[in-house]
Amino acid sequence: MRDEDAALAALLEKLDAAAARLADARPFAKHRHQRPVLDIAARVLGQPGGVSALYARAGALDAAGLFAGSDWDSPATLLPQLVGLTLDNPDRVTVALEITSLLRMLAIATGEATHEGLHAEPARHYLTQVLALNLRHFFGASSEASRATGWEDVKRSVLRFVAERIGLRDVLGVLVEEIWRILEQRPVQVAPVKDMIAQISIAMAEQGAEPGQERLGAERLVGALFGPTIASQDDPGIGAFLERLEGFDEHALMREATGFARAMHDTGLVSDYHAAFLTWLAAREGPSLVPEALGLGQTGLDCWRRYMPLVRRLIGAAVTPFTPQAVYGLSLVLDRGVLHYAPIEPALTGQIAAELHPEAAQRLRLAYGEAVSAETHLLAGLLEVIGQPFGVGQGANPTCQSARAIAMWALNDPDYLLHLVRQASEMDAVTMHFEGQPIASSELPPGLSAGAPIDADPVSVLLVPHLDRIYAEMGRLCAPRGGDPHRWINPEFHGWWVARDCIVAVDVATGLLADYEAFVARFCRGYHPAYNDARPVIHPQPAGIAVTDASARFVGWHAISILRVDTDQHGVVRVYFYNPNNDSGQDWGAGVVVSTSGCGERYGEASLPFEEFVSRLYLFHDDPLTAARVPTIVPEEFIASIRDRATQSWAADRLEAAPSWTGGGA
Amino acid sequence: MQDYDESKGYVALLGWSLNAIDAADRFDRRYIVVAPPWATDYCEANGIPHIAWDFDRLNERSYELATTLKDEGVDVAIPLFEETVEWAGAVNAVLRDNPRLLGQAMLFRDKSLMKRRAQLGGIRVGVFEEAHDRGDVIRFLKRVNQTLLKLDGDPNDPIHFKAFDKSGTAGHRVIRTAEDVDLIPDEEFPALLESHLDGWEFAVEAWIKDRKIQFLNISEYVTLGYSVFVPATPELEQHRARITEEIEKLIETFDIEFGFIHPEYFLTSDNKLYFGEVAYRPPGFNALELIERAYGFNGYQALVLAFDPKATQQELDAFFPTPVEDAKGHAGCFGVYPRRRVVNRLEIPDATANHPYFEHHELAEPMQNKVAKRSAFGTHWGLMYFFGDDPHRLRDLLKSQEELDFYV
Repeated sequence: MRDEDAALAALLEKLDAAAARLADARPFAKHRHQRPVLDIAARVLGQPGGVSALYARAGALDAAGLFAGSDWDSPATLLPQLVGLTLDNPDRVTVALEITSLLRMLAIATGEATHEGLHAEPARHYLTQVLALNLRHFFGASSEASRATGWEDVKRSVLRFVAERIGLRDVLGVLVEEIWRILEQRPVQVAPVKDMIAQISIAMAEQGAEPGQERLGAERLVGALFGPTIASQDDPGIGAFLERLEGFDEHALMREATGFARAMHDTGLVSDYHAAFLTWLAAREGPSLVPEALGLGQTGLDCWRRYMPLVRRLIGAAVTPFTPQAVYGLSLVLDRGVLHYAPIEPALTGQIAAELHPEAAQRLRLAYGEAVSAETHLLAGLLEVIGQPFGVGQGANPTCQSARAIAMWALNDPDYLLHLVRQASEMDAVTMHFEGQPIASSELPPGLSAGAPIDADPVSVLLVPHLDRIYAEMGRLCAPRGGDPHRWINPEFHGWWVARDCIVAVDVATGLLADYEAFVARFCRGYHPAYNDARPVIHPQPAGIAVTDASARFVGWHAISILRVDTDQHGVVRVYFYNPNNDSGQDWGAGVVVSTSGCGERYGEASLPFEEFVSRLYLFHDDPLTAARVPTIVPEEFIASIRDRATQSWAADRLEAAPSWTGGGA
Repeated sequence: MQDYDESKGYVALLGWSLNAIDAADRFDRRYIVVAPPWATDYCEANGIPHIAWDFDRLNERSYELATTLKDEGVDVAIPLFEETVEWAGAVNAVLRDNPRLLGQAMLFRDKSLMKRRAQLGGIRVGVFEEAHDRGDVIRFLKRVNQTLLKLDGDPNDPIHFKAFDKSGTAGHRVIRTAEDVDLIPDEEFPALLESHLDGWEFAVEAWIKDRKIQFLNISEYVTLGYSVFVPATPELEQHRARITEEIEKLIETFDIEFGFIHPEYFLTSDNKLYFGEVAYRPPGFNALELIERAYGFNGYQALVLAFDPKATQQELDAFFPTPVEDAKGHAGCFGVYPRRRVVNRLEIPDATANHPYFEHHELAEPMQNKVAKRSAFGTHWGLMYFFGDDPHRLRDLLKSQEELDFYV
């Protein structure tokens, strides 16, 4: 018996003993024996195989009286909307109670257990709703709120366990919608999404799906991944697919190329067949269909023609069936035209040849396995990150600053990013300068994320441990200065384009609001087109958000960048921003719901109406020129409405000690 | 809801213990709970047979309770708490038509009388004395230390101070200095003073019927007031024969016909057994629950059997397992006291949470942040339960909990 099996067996013995005491107890004494059962059940859930073991006992635990005296004792009246909140409860015993209840529902739904007053069908319906409402637990993404409470893996495995048994057919519509919502943000890390599509595919194959809109959406996703073209539509396997290609004429190959490209640009997902096709094309003699297979636009086509040898080498070195997303990255790199920027070609050429430092290679292997080399993963990751800068996510790591910096460089300064990657890949060290003083990551202790992240994109896996340390060290150097250290760190860490005025809404020492009206007025004068003479945001600007949860309660400080301020198609002035969190579409409470598509967002952008955005902002940078200009008048009621939103959410207990504001001050 | 056998006895449970009521309700004898009036609503709501009774009131009414119970048809009363022991004695004197039972109960309720009776019965006890005020305590502390040939200024050997009529570690203080004496509140007098015995402290739970020990459990203390486990280690169990003799002496000396006793003993380094005290009621620290976890029988149901005059020897023999041999493992618990002066939250240390012997805990989140200073042994904040095969590993595990913070 393996150690973990033995540990589970020992815990189950204890669980069964506690459950027997519970079962024996009279109804009036049940409550004394419930907590021990839940206490042990919570530990069982943390063990491999624990969910299934608890499921096997769920009906018996219910019958033993685990829920006696609580709302959970009448399952027919339980509300699926409340499950998510209970699952986020910091008390594990409460979470264990909810999970055991879900597993008991599952046992009822599958006919393995019964409960008076509840039949299999309503139980199944309840679980379907729970799954649909808790899809966020399905995906790799984790929000600030869920990171703070932990135990994500257990919840995910429980919900997946439920989904595997009741099937996803009924939640297909919600699931498909959710996947499209995520794909609209074009994340670099698509493994969780691909995983879910695979599950949908299995569900549809096993159970079928009702014809209609939902089925169409699902088939589009499954098709993009498993069979987007004529040669691949029956998912024949890479070998059979390549054999078919040998028999195709140019016209048929052209259809394959455009079919792949269309599916890729439609979803942001790259089929393994597409990767195989492109590699095959790049190696082939004769007229090339590479631009068609990449779905290039005019700029991309121009880059392809000019840098054909480099692009062929990139395909050869980065595109494999294990790194299919590199195709999408490459396509966007070409279409962004960044190859025309002089340093990029030699930098990429150098990176193709670079050999990784053993430590760095080890980290990448840990994250991505050994099917292809760490160098291949890194190169693929580089193409993806430079191709889709706003697709960078921080994973489940508290390293939003590092992720934001990588995204910013990928957008704004890709050769600098290549420079850092080159340093880290060869030396497993990065040196940056702070006000002229060199800071070498190799000489520093770990920063915020003690372990290096392995659940992010390859560039982040390589760089974040170094960036994290350097960022922390800059913070240390600023500590004696007082005030918010971002004032000095942000320009030094990110680049010269970070505006040198830094305005903070709170007093750092007390955490209370400080001159909040002036803060809001300055932001309006710096960023709002009506108050800044319609000056556009030129470079992405780092900013700090006070993140709130769906109940508008303060969760923590979070780093984002402001990309642009524009009027959307409905005439609403919105702030478009990049959030390094994996899923930007968050509910910040009190009606503030971050939009990720449908309001003029480009891929990966998040947006909020101007006032709502400012109401969660606590730090921003602005050009000193704003202060030098004749101040425009920002209406007092406009500022007051923003203040109300702030003080009704994150700033509720941060009101100024002695309110001295008059509104609209300079 | 209860199914009971008319031909068997009818018992009254004196005091409110949900575990005891639950066990009785599941047993085959009719029962009635005699509990304070605040429990009435709960009993009504849950169909628990009961009589409301205020045990705080004067003893003169005990005859009223006895006749009420007699009219009800009750055969015997079972005390669940120290405070109801003399009530049970008074009631049983009437029900069993045996006036000696009241006197016997008084012996159990007064630690000083108890100690003298034991001494008269030829049971080895330490040096003890009664104290009516602080002067008595100082005198006893000095006298004991003189006897030990200590000079002025030498650190004193401690003495133990126990309120006459409190149970377990409540009202139990260890006195080393005159300052310790000053800290004793007036209301804890009169009290029993005892010399300190260095040795191995343990407790016994014995169910008695017809003056015969029906089942004898030895509970090994790891640290008094902190932790206990059952069955004991083989090192302690090897003294079982001698311990059984000691219990038989108690049965003789205290004239115990039936019931349940819970005495404490010291085994000193010169291999002598000293009697500490004895209680005629279930022990604290959930010892009966530990026994149930180890042996599988319910201690409260055993109590009902031992008290019921209609129980037969056959029934008893069938009920009880063979000590030690039939135990499925060793069960122990640890009482948690916060170690820091200011605490914010409950946090089970990883070493404990991940230990294969750890079962569950009954600790609650702290209600207040400031921890009151402990003077007497005080009350723990909840129990941690453990269960495992190896008594030595369990003992060391319980000991190691003392070094951990559960409230941070």
